[in-house]
Amino acid sequence: MSLAPPPTVPNGKSVERQLDSQSNVAQQTMETPSIGGVTSKPCIHCGLPTMVAADSDPAEPVFCCSGCHGAYGLIQGWGLDEYYALRDQLTVTGAALAASDQKNYQQFDTPEFLGESSPKTTADGLECVELGVHGIHCAACTWLIERALLHQVGMQAARVKLSDHTLKLIYDPKQTKLSGIARFLDRLGYQLLPLDRSRENHLRQENRRMLIQIAIAGFFAANAMWIAVALYAGQFSGLAAEHKYLFELVGMGLGSAAVFGPGRTFLRGAIASIKTRTPHMDLPIGLALFVGAVIGTWNAIRGAGDVYFDGLSSLVFLLLIGRWIQFRQQHQAAQSVELMMRVTPRHANLIAEDGTETSVMVDRLNQGDHIRVGAGECVPADGVIIEGISRLNRSLLTGESLPVAVNPGDCIEAGTVNVGSPLVLKVSATGKNSRIGQIMQSVEAAATEKTPIVQLADRIGGIFVVVVVFLAFLTFAIWLPQSLQQATSFATAMLIVACPCALAMATPLAIAVGIGRAAKAQILVRDGSALQHLSKPGMLWIDKTGTLTEGSQHAQLVWGTPHALMLAAAVESQCQHPIAQAIVKASEIHSSYMAAIKESYRPSAVDVSVVPGGVIGIVDGCVVQVGNAALLATKGIRIPDSALELASTLARNGSTPIYVAVNQEAVALLGLSDPIRPQAAALVQSAKQLGWTVGMLSGDLSEIATRVGSEVGIARDMCRGGVSPEDKLATVKQSRDQFPTVVMIGDGANDAAALAASDVGIAVRGGAEVSLHAAPVYLANSQLTNIARLLKGSVTTTRVIYFNFAVSLAYNLVAVGLAITGNISPLLAAIIMPLSSVTVLGLTFAIPSFSSRSTEKVA
Amino acid sequence: MSVLFIALPAALLLGGSALVACIYCIRQGQYDDLESPPIRILIDDEDIVQNPSEPAKS
Repeated sequence: MSLAPPPTVPNGKSVERQLDSQSNVAQQTMETPSIGGVTSKPCIHCGLPTMVAADSDPAEPVFCCSGCHGAYGLIQGWGLDEYYALRDQLTVTGAALAASDQKNYQQFDTPEFLGESSPKTTADGLECVELGVHGIHCAACTWLIERALLHQVGMQAARVKLSDHTLKLIYDPKQTKLSGIARFLDRLGYQLLPLDRSRENHLRQENRRMLIQIAIAGFFAANAMWIAVALYAGQFSGLAAEHKYLFELVGMGLGSAAVFGPGRTFLRGAIASIKTRTPHMDLPIGLALFVGAVIGTWNAIRGAGDVYFDGLSSLVFLLLIGRWIQFRQQHQAAQSVELMMRVTPRHANLIAEDGTETSVMVDRLNQGDHIRVGAGECVPADGVIIEGISRLNRSLLTGESLPVAVNPGDCIEAGTVNVGSPLVLKVSATGKNSRIGQIMQSVEAAATEKTPIVQLADRIGGIFVVVVVFLAFLTFAIWLPQSLQQATSFATAMLIVACPCALAMATPLAIAVGIGRAAKAQILVRDGSALQHLSKPGMLWIDKTGTLTEGSQHAQLVWGTPHALMLAAAVESQCQHPIAQAIVKASEIHSSYMAAIKESYRPSAVDVSVVPGGVIGIVDGCVVQVGNAALLATKGIRIPDSALELASTLARNGSTPIYVAVNQEAVALLGLSDPIRPQAAALVQSAKQLGWTVGMLSGDLSEIATRVGSEVGIARDMCRGGVSPEDKLATVKQSRDQFPTVVMIGDGANDAAALAASDVGIAVRGGAEVSLHAAPVYLANSQLTNIARLLKGSVTTTRVIYFNFAVSLAYNLVAVGLAITGNISPLLAAIIMPLSSVTVLGLTFAIPSFSSRSTEKVA
Repeated sequence: MSVLFIALPAALLLGGSALVACIYCIRQGQYDDLESPPIRILIDDEDIVQNPSEPAKS
């Protein structure tokens, strides 16, 4: 392994020097109107704002210090680049959690806090506990946690379950405490959480039940099969009648046990289907199983005719496997959502009537209880504020990254983070009844809901029953003139071989596998039909702000001194506008530089007022005005020509010019821009390659929209600027007439209407709540390249569906043809039927969809 | 060939005991997590037990 070349910004001293020369450049730009100066970029490793020259290559990584550069080099050298993407997708919730759980480790030693996941004492005095872990990304985390914990004194065993992010610990309570373990893991970057098991237990029980059914069915199938092999062999080499009878009776026992034991789900489904008169795939399957079992039993007992028990039991076995795979894949999507939602705390500070506070489990809270939510804590339950004024970060629910102010009387939801001062809440709903709980339920309900194509398969199942019964009668009628016995035999064979088991598996399985694979790539697909829509190229509308671009304003000092910027920031720091935040952020970078040369200088503003076009305030006795050219004009402030020239250059480059005036004199010019995401152009290109027409809808000015469009490769006439949310909705609806599929990619919050109106809405940003309500697809890590992956994956999935359909129908047609002509033997039936199911199973898994960049390789 | 009358039930009994063992394993939760074990096998065991308080584990 070799380290990367020496750091570009080696240490503090030279940073100063470098910055000094750069700010000189900024000051000199009065004479040379070119956009130079300094700008800030986050350090690629730790995220600290770092000064770089504005004209440096934007793709070049920036480091705040040589330590970060070294760490970055190590990570790159080990081929662990994925780390940064994984880290970034979880930083928000991770940081919120870390803040809310700080110094609360002692709680891990109290059973009230742990609730259901309290440690259980084993026979030899050790304690065993299972806890949720936040921050696990991949196999490497498993390795790190298990290895690191085993070095702790008193730790007997540590096991991480990657599938549901839980950790099982066995430790000696005399030597170590859970609080110590929690603190230790927090230092490694993982937070322990008590678990809410009720829902998970349900899934786990269901999973185990299905596995047991499969095991039983497998036992019956395997034994029925070898008995059948003996019978078939006996047909050729002779078999004593008594032995044949024994085999047939044992086969009968095993076969009917398989059909009426593990296979009864299909019989039950068939009965339900008859009762409710809704066609269902279970109906033809149940019919085949039942008829086969009854006729087979009859034949076995009277010792004449064919028995089909081997075929029937292997059918049950394979169908159950198919169902289990569907179950697992469907819950993978729901589980991914749940892992995101696990951030809601499991404990709350209950305020008793006498004013004392106790930490209790959220489940124990009742409506009307008063709870305290400290600063930096996550709100544990829905409720109404009765005391305190604060700001809330509601990004988990709405995707709005700016904190919103809340006052007494406001309703707040579980899962939001209190970033201001402590609040007292009156609880209105907890757990499943809270808003976040309801979202979880709706996502899970949607995951188990049947997609249109599965419904289509079910309808085909209904038709199938009619056709199969008709064909069975036809076969009976054809062969009746020969002999009654032969006619019955062939008609039975007909009923059994026409069982559309492969057909029943083909579509749901392909969709479930597709959704499951997508969920692994952080693409949450709520609705399987989205995959079908996405496979037919049509119109792809992309929102600009926040989708193609970063969505947040970045301020850059173009002309003027850092001092002017600090004054501007002092005024703006009292506003909540995104522009104000960008200016404050820009000044923070400068102030760290200022602090390095002289003692900390932090001006504060008084008399701040927001006026049209800007903000005015008084800092250190000087009147400071920050705003656009129009504001300065109304105040009668002259802008130097050189600055005007710079401003027009800025506007041409898509930035918004903002002036700073001190005591009626323009002293600085700031450029505000929203950088384009690096993957935007790649997304547009790959979508075009797949045959999509790509367009852009933006609420921004047409000029800016066109410029961004040309940079990412969207045709000029497809860039619509200055579009209101209503216009977006209208455009999407209009294009539905022209294109078979209309897809809208946008922000879960602002574009909700357009997302819902399109055939498939893809939400790339914004909280899970709105996004999943409005759009069937949600990108959990907002990586644009995942959209291209989704488009390709849908094409493959749909191809797999049709292929499966064709294969299973072909099998059935051949089998039916053979049965009508009386050429089917039980042996042939036993081979053809499982073979078709196995083919479908194999094909679905063999054809790669959503091919991943193999993150597992790292392990 | 009358040995079949003993061999066949014996075979079923053997198979049945395997089934019971399998169901026991499922109930114990050995099949709950199918994601970590295939990865865990790639992680090397440590050569020596470095923690003195931890007697050698099997």
